[in-house]
Amino acid sequence: MVQNTLFNPINRRRLLKAGAAIGGLQVASPFIIKARGETPVKIGFIDPITGSLSALAVSEVEGAKWTTEQINKNGGILGRQVELLVEDSANDTGTGVQKAHKLIERDNVDVIMGDVNSGIAYAIMGVTAAKGVFHIVPGGHTDPITGTDCKWNTYRTCNTTAMDASAVTPELVKRFGKRWFFVTPDYAYGHTLQDNFVKRLKALGGEFDGDMLPIAQSDFSATLIKAKAYKPNVILNNMGGTAQINCMKQYVQFGMNKEMALGGALFEIESAKAVPKEAQAGWWCQEWYWQNPAVPAVKTFVDAISPAIGKKPTARHWMAYVSIHAVKLAAEAAKSLDGLKMAHALGDLPLPPEVSLMSGDIRYRAGDHQLMSNIFVGEMHPPEGDPDALFRVEATVTGEQAAGSVADTGCKMVYPS
Amino acid sequence: MLQLVMFNLTNGLIVGAFYVLMALGLSLIINLSGVVNFAHGNFLALGGYFAFMLTPYIGFWGALLISPFLTAIFGYALEKLIIRHVYMRNHIYSLLLTFGLAFILQDSCRYLWGPSPLPLTIPDAMSQPITADLFFVTWYRVFMVAVVTVAVAGLFAFLRYTRIGMRIRAGTLDLDTVSALGVNVAMLRSYNFAVGSFLAGLAGVLAAGQIGLNPNMGDDLIMPSFIAIIVGGVGSLTGTLLGGLLIGVASALTTVVYPAASDAVIYVIMALVLLLRPRGLLGEEGMLT
Repeated sequence: MVQNTLFNPINRRRLLKAGAAIGGLQVASPFIIKARGETPVKIGFIDPITGSLSALAVSEVEGAKWTTEQINKNGGILGRQVELLVEDSANDTGTGVQKAHKLIERDNVDVIMGDVNSGIAYAIMGVTAAKGVFHIVPGGHTDPITGTDCKWNTYRTCNTTAMDASAVTPELVKRFGKRWFFVTPDYAYGHTLQDNFVKRLKALGGEFDGDMLPIAQSDFSATLIKAKAYKPNVILNNMGGTAQINCMKQYVQFGMNKEMALGGALFEIESAKAVPKEAQAGWWCQEWYWQNPAVPAVKTFVDAISPAIGKKPTARHWMAYVSIHAVKLAAEAAKSLDGLKMAHALGDLPLPPEVSLMSGDIRYRAGDHQLMSNIFVGEMHPPEGDPDALFRVEATVTGEQAAGSVADTGCKMVYPS
Repeated sequence: MLQLVMFNLTNGLIVGAFYVLMALGLSLIINLSGVVNFAHGNFLALGGYFAFMLTPYIGFWGALLISPFLTAIFGYALEKLIIRHVYMRNHIYSLLLTFGLAFILQDSCRYLWGPSPLPLTIPDAMSQPITADLFFVTWYRVFMVAVVTVAVAGLFAFLRYTRIGMRIRAGTLDLDTVSALGVNVAMLRSYNFAVGSFLAGLAGVLAAGQIGLNPNMGDDLIMPSFIAIIVGGVGSLTGTLLGGLLIGVASALTTVVYPAASDAVIYVIMALVLLLRPRGLLGEEGMLT
């Protein structure tokens, strides 16, 4: 038989071997695909569930858990179920870093999220950057995270302190005056927040004094004595969590609410609900608020999540919700859970209204990985009608307006080659 | 500036009075039982939470009366069931045990009442300042100082004039002899622990009215209590009283010049005392051995 070297016909043995191989694949490949499908997408969520910021952290964790359940009901991420691993940073930097290492090295998470405490978020970012793990900071506000120390693997959902200060300063100056007294926590968030307020106040010809206090301060009488002596137009309560609550209570107890206005960047709903009615006051930013008739998706979200959490959602629930959806969107755009691919994919990716829960073009800016969300400036008040109706929006500032340019933030984003 | 200093001095004495109440309870337990109760701050939190539960039914005054007794009963039970088993062991056991109890109690509070801060409603009139000039001295703070004064006087009277009190004082000095004289030392320790817990519970109700409730509230107050005891002298209740007032005033005055150090200054004082006079201001030598 002559063998044709140009055309190699398939002989029976080869055909049988090929057939067996194809048949074998039909049996084997589902195992491979099925095995991949059974491996969940792991998101490590680090937050200070214990400590002075626990109320805020618990809201974030509630939002994250609910969002994860909803995503899993709708097929998960890339066809895989999502597993949320929650760890307590105990409001301590060392503990937060330890938990980040544990989640990455032992639990092999695909994504890290956290922390409410800016200092811990910043420290965790160091770990995730070194390990090349995709990291979203839902609620840590200090500027360097998406500013001077921005990293290719880290995105942030909540505002920077610069954005909050930029949004609320003109309103406070216009309504009350330019002589301010700051009550500020002595850590990363407080320093950058006060620096940003001072920069904007000085630009408007203002003057100031203030105290930097331990993050978990419980007695503010000495500081409030100083504030009263200074006679400011506005006292800015930059504290957070239980410290902010105690400061507000004592501010009202000392009768200072009759002598000076009150304001600041954030007075979160969790904290507002824990103070007496007289202290539910002042001018603040809200990063998201549940009453927003202009955006139908907000009502859908509120109606869906409220029964599960037993109350109206707050900005912290929203931060977790957007962050987890951002992972889904980034993974689907990148068709991968590889950190670098997701990082490239999420930059400037428009978030649909059912994810952003805001009007306008909301996206994580590619230049600094900061979410350009709207900021709601307004007045806190005692409940009107609904027990969670505590805030009246008077002005909405877009993220781009408040944040300025990428160059202003000092971020120089460098991706690995 | 002088007015600022005087105001802060007054404020520091008020804050210090509160530290005294916490520290005295802790000191009682250390002196007789030799147990450093790391869970003491959590007894404070429990007292506050008991008051929170009772206030809707019996009002603030009723809750103030009952909650410390409930805390005392809880402390008594805890001592009888758990803590007494480590008395004859190395000190490290009691440290670890009470350290673990602190976490258990804190998480229990979080589980039962939630992680979010809760307010304890006090009568409206007490929230007002006593005068316009002394705006930082509210009627509630005056009331707190009055309660602390009565509690401290009551404690000293209890220790001086009651049989149990005399036995506790004697036991602090020489427990073996007290036992040899036929006193039931086990019961004595239990009652002593209950008294210490009572004081923590009372401090908890007062604190809750001022700063509200949260599961971690004891953590922030336990360290100043320890420092008050070290500064005043282990084994001396009068020293503890002085130590509490001293650190309260020091913290308040530091806020005038360098607020960020208002927490750190009490540790600096502790370090200085340990270096220069290790037994404390009024402590006796050898009390820690």
